[in-house]
Amino acid sequence: MLTRSWSRLTLAGKVVLPLVAVLGGLTALLMLGVVLGIVQPITAFLVETLSLNGGLVRFVVAALAVLLFAIPTAFIIGFLELKVIAFMNLRLGPNRVGPWGALSAAFHGFKILAKEDFTPTGADVPVFTLAPVIVFLAPVLGFLVLPFAPGLFGQDMNLAVLYFFAMSGLGVVGLIMAGWSSFNKYSLLGALRAAAQIISYEIPLTLSVVGVIMLAGTLSLNGIVLQQAGSFLDWFAFRQPLGFVIFFIAATAEGNRTPFDLSEADSEIVAGYATEYSGMRFGFFYFAEYVNVFLLSALTVVLFLGGWLAPFDLGGVLHQIGVAFDPRLDPGSLGIGLLIGLLVVPLLIIIGLAVPFWLAKPGLAFWKALIIGFLLFNVLAAGAVLLWAVASFEVVQGLLWFMAKTYAFVVILVWMRATLPRVRIDQLMGFAWKWLIPAALLNLFVTALAVVVVDAVTR
Amino acid sequence: MTADPRTRVRSLDDPQLFVETPATIYDAVPPYPPSTEREAEFYTLRDGEMLINLGPQHPSTHGVLRVVLKIDGERVVDLDPVLGYLHRGVEKICENSDWHMVVSHCDPLEYIAAMFSELVPVMAAEQLLDVTVPRRAEYIRVLACELNRIASHALFIGWLALDLGGLTPILYGFIERDEIVEMLAALTGQRLLFNYMRIGGVNGDLNHEFMSRLGDWMGHAARHVNDSQTLINENEIFVKRTRGLGRIDRETALRMCLTGPPLRATGVPYDVRRAHPYGVYPELEFEIPVREEGDSYARYMLHLDEIRQSIHIIDQVLHQMPDGPVTAKLPRLLRPRPGRAFAAIESPRGQYAVYAMSDGSDQPFRLRIHDPSYFNLQSVGLLTPGHLIADTMAIMASLDPIMGGVDK
Amino acid sequence: MGEQLAGPVRQRHSTTEIRVAPGDVAAVMRTLHDDPALRFRLLADLCGVDTGTVMQVVYHLWSEITPDWLRVIADGLDRDNPRASSVTFLWKGAEWAEREAYDMFGIIFEGNRDLRRIYMPPDYKSFPLRKDFLLPDDASRSPGLGVRHMEQAAAPAAAAAAPRRARAG
Repeated sequence: MLTRSWSRLTLAGKVVLPLVAVLGGLTALLMLGVVLGIVQPITAFLVETLSLNGGLVRFVVAALAVLLFAIPTAFIIGFLELKVIAFMNLRLGPNRVGPWGALSAAFHGFKILAKEDFTPTGADVPVFTLAPVIVFLAPVLGFLVLPFAPGLFGQDMNLAVLYFFAMSGLGVVGLIMAGWSSFNKYSLLGALRAAAQIISYEIPLTLSVVGVIMLAGTLSLNGIVLQQAGSFLDWFAFRQPLGFVIFFIAATAEGNRTPFDLSEADSEIVAGYATEYSGMRFGFFYFAEYVNVFLLSALTVVLFLGGWLAPFDLGGVLHQIGVAFDPRLDPGSLGIGLLIGLLVVPLLIIIGLAVPFWLAKPGLAFWKALIIGFLLFNVLAAGAVLLWAVASFEVVQGLLWFMAKTYAFVVILVWMRATLPRVRIDQLMGFAWKWLIPAALLNLFVTALAVVVVDAVTR
Repeated sequence: MTADPRTRVRSLDDPQLFVETPATIYDAVPPYPPSTEREAEFYTLRDGEMLINLGPQHPSTHGVLRVVLKIDGERVVDLDPVLGYLHRGVEKICENSDWHMVVSHCDPLEYIAAMFSELVPVMAAEQLLDVTVPRRAEYIRVLACELNRIASHALFIGWLALDLGGLTPILYGFIERDEIVEMLAALTGQRLLFNYMRIGGVNGDLNHEFMSRLGDWMGHAARHVNDSQTLINENEIFVKRTRGLGRIDRETALRMCLTGPPLRATGVPYDVRRAHPYGVYPELEFEIPVREEGDSYARYMLHLDEIRQSIHIIDQVLHQMPDGPVTAKLPRLLRPRPGRAFAAIESPRGQYAVYAMSDGSDQPFRLRIHDPSYFNLQSVGLLTPGHLIADTMAIMASLDPIMGGVDK
Repeated sequence: MGEQLAGPVRQRHSTTEIRVAPGDVAAVMRTLHDDPALRFRLLADLCGVDTGTVMQVVYHLWSEITPDWLRVIADGLDRDNPRASSVTFLWKGAEWAEREAYDMFGIIFEGNRDLRRIYMPPDYKSFPLRKDFLLPDDASRSPGLGVRHMEQAAAPAAAAAAPRRARAG
């Protein structure tokens, strides 16, 4: 009878039920342990060990967080790509899977998991298997030093910029491994194109950043962000405009994004280095590209646009308008008012929001209007909580600005993909070597000259 | 040779044949010795050269075309197109079918511009039957054909941009094409393979829905051309990828039997509508767009010019449309006089011609279809060597082949 | 050039037709192409025809002097060993048309550097558009004949059943 009920469960049920059972069992065990007094000394011991190895713990937590952050980011950027390109193509894009199709990229990811994972005949199996791993790791490792908010970064290495470029080089190794081990001429062509492209564009990428480094005086990304503090015009984008432009172009080429996506040009060499991959291995390439897009946008923002710095002081602006926002709530001071507030106020707001809908649309049942009101109330409440968090925690504000700026650049990259055709390999290499590198060198010399001159003048 | 399956001839293309070494299954070299001079020359590789297959399944070979590229790094040294993946034996089928049935056999040949591929055998049959097509039918034919020409060119622009990597222009092209195709569906009942031309006229008069859609569309007809203008024409990347690419001069174009936009882009003002006028084209006023440079960019710009001319023609046709019947009265069973007829029209890809032979019976004796894409595609072998692999796509796309016609 | 014409010059429906012997094709084409009074520089079509008794190669040419088409029929090719001379020395674009004529009829064009099959697989044995090529479903016209493999020529017994031996002009 047990097997019959088990076989009647859906796939989701088969996943959830054992999970729930296991969790329940563990909780019961834990509570038993607490009651019996076994758990206390164990936890005390753990806490002591962890606090003695603070750095290691921090690192492990950071690595896990980065890994867990990268995957939803890839989903979000995948979804953005589908929707934004669709809107630019005057069509709708996916709109069935979640609200406005938001879960579609995630479901693409799950679908990729379900595909057959085969290795082609003649492929070099260890290299073939490792290649997607390396290609995926390269951008994810780069996340480790990215300052998302004041104090919110994986590691504050004082060689962060160098570390970043080393990681993009790692990506090239993975691509070549993929192309070579696939035993396919198309893959080989794609891999070699990709390798040539990335290596050529590493040089203007690095050179354009050297100007920033000279002005900031440090290789640490956190330090570079802090050096841009002050006003909006202190951002390096205004102090190093040529460097900014060169960096963005080179970053687009580094990420194999259109107009430089000829290594995966699917109208020429099918999928380039990823032609022979299927299933999750292809998923790795797919994710790696989106994570790389995020990473490159984030890097642009951190290096040139002030990272998590706000362009204007929101509190100050609000103060000017006359809205005094005191974020320090003290729930205890409300007393019985808290209870009334928690019960009555939401209800009033929901009804207040529902009534206009009920009046405006004649055929709407009142309970449906209540549901709309409830949803809107949720939105407003979330917004209110967000505002409170932004106002009271600097970290949240910084994180929001960082994300907003990064996603602005992600959208710009997606926009370029929607509109621009592809550049040919020789035109691409010509552009890098004949235009970008001299421009970057020019930028470098002018910056160095300016630094020396300003130093001499102000001394 | 018997019919015994055990002693059946095993073709080397037989998928049941097991190939021993894995290395050979990826090779583009055919497993039999070369049979012609050119084959031998093509399949001998010098140091550093590689044969790569732009296989029949490929996102940008305009249908099922297999091209074997001999490359040296990224540079294409030589090129051998292999056809036949879509060969349906249309000429043989037409020999076994009725004269009326030929229309539905022939319209999937140039499936994007089906009106043209239907019109030609019908014209050949009319020559053999000495039928006069009513004036109104001729005007409707011109109208339908010019609309189809615009639809086909809209798609061409999209494909060219898609093969170069731009994802947006093809969707704009499809919006334009969709409007026209819906219009033609209101007229003929079908969106792609219209089955509209009949021997002696067309199948059905214009109706109200078609006229209203046409009126709406004429209001913003040139908008698509202007859209492409802003999105693609001045786009630096697009121009750099197509200008100077696949340049042909007049003499070579005539020697390669090119017709249509590739020929007119080299400066030869050959358009069948003016060179050997048919239908009511002598009464219509339009220019033949001609460009001098002969490269892919010129071919692309020529297509835009042609769209404008087609809109002008449609305008005149609508003003000059006479009343009258739309088909000539013909018996069900057609027995044309024994003889030969050659009919040619200007399709969006070039000169589309049919050479029909009749032996007095109700089936065509020989229906030879001359498709412009077939001849235009030969130039790929001439133009690509020396360029990069990426340019192969650009050149092929700018010559606008439709594999349905190439493979018949 | 008049002495090379094998039959009368015919004209109908804006097409002029001339017939030549297969051996004279190269010379006639060259004259038509190069002669400044004729200037037939555009080859509109090249095809093979199987009339049941003989094979023909039919060329259609156009000159900017006259709007009419000129049809040149190289008549009298032997059905068992059809050979004609190639016009690829004048029009390189005729190469594929000749390949198609070879593929469909078996006509061998001397002078074509690349005379191999173009539509059918390279090791295909017979020539589809010939009048004695019967499709397998022709067996349905006479079930007693059974299903014949496509690459086999018709057995003599079948010749009585279906094929048309019509004469065309």
